Amino acid sequence: MTIHHHPSDALLVDYASGAMRPAQALVLAAHVHACPRCRSHVRAAEAAGGALLEELAAAPMTPEALALAMARLDRPEPASPTAARPTGVAAPEDWIAVPDEVAAAVRRRRWVAPGVWVAQVFKSRPDEPLSYLLRVGGGMRMPQHTHQGTELTLVLKGAFVDESTRYEAGDLAEVDGEVEHSPHITAEGECVCLVASDRPLVVRGVIARAVQKLAGI
Amino acid sequence: MSQLARSEAADLIVRIARSQDRAAFVALFEHFAPRVKSYMLRCGAAQEAAEELAQEALLAVWRKADQYDPERSGASTWIFTIARNLRIDALRRERRPVIVEDPSDANEAEPAPDVLLASAQRDERLREAVTELPRDQAEVVRLAFFDDRTHVEIAGQLEVPLGTVKSRMRLALGRLRRLLEDQA
Repeated sequence: MTIHHHPSDALLVDYASGAMRPAQALVLAAHVHACPRCRSHVRAAEAAGGALLEELAAAPMTPEALALAMARLDRPEPASPTAARPTGVAAPEDWIAVPDEVAAAVRRRRWVAPGVWVAQVFKSRPDEPLSYLLRVGGGMRMPQHTHQGTELTLVLKGAFVDESTRYEAGDLAEVDGEVEHSPHITAEGECVCLVASDRPLVVRGVIARAVQKLAGI
Repeated sequence: MSQLARSEAADLIVRIARSQDRAAFVALFEHFAPRVKSYMLRCGAAQEAAEELAQEALLAVWRKADQYDPERSGASTWIFTIARNLRIDALRRERRPVIVEDPSDANEAEPAPDVLLASAQRDERLREAVTELPRDQAEVVRLAFFDDRTHVEIAGQLEVPLGTVKSRMRLALGRLRRLLEDQA
């Protein structure tokens, strides 16, 4: 797999600094996992974080802090309440490798139109970006839509073409601003993408809006 | 002791991995806990929470010391990633995707002294490079790392076009990347 389309450095910094919202971080995590180039770029951004940490003025710890820490050294690690638990669900073999929670989302898929299913990856607050899996059949066109903010689309399987640029497995398409577009899937076969999108997603057309409502996106 | 000799931090982590060296932990704690606390405060944590998160971060350094690879990252970079992950967990209180580890993470052999020295020198060069960034680039990088702002939010805050923030980030990161690649 050769990856041609990468996230911008600005996105990689958002990811490495921890400022990125979970829905988008999920897409970045999946891309970075598949992409040695971006792994090294994330590492460079993290090195900036390390250098900045050294540069910070120290905030003195309370006098007993060290003794408290020493007393805790031999205790077992507390279970993290937020750590992702293994779901035991594997993603289809013809997808690029994805985090467990993405694979598990396939069980929640809803067919919303002939050839199209959508599966929300995890619940996010209404004001937060949304992440979902989108499967569209070969040769189909995605509904024309526009959005404020950023839309990230990672191809997990297949390929799509947007404004004459072709995106294949592992490629990440980054669209920001109020671009109105209507990508189409190549004729070779189905395309599955992991999408993170700022809301609201504005879909043109009555039928497309009905689909959107059904899909909960 | 609050100022570690430049080559020391990586060596201290390796000593913890090798022999659970408590003196090494004390030295790391005294240097890094106040900086991690400062980082947490900058990111919006209250005093007490910042103190607790700094404790947690240093305890994680103790527990995960055997995963540290000095060839891959400097000590402060590695400790930064631990602190960042704790911050995301604590301040966001929501499930998040784990930041992926490099598949080549396996830490098989004990690092040679020259690896530790090279790692420390690289860290030192990075620190210099970050302090020497042009002001507009340094500003966006600091906002990203210390103020929990995405590049879109930074553009809004500084009232500059999104493309300007993106190009500053690209220039800043490109500079650091070349520095890392030169020494790889």
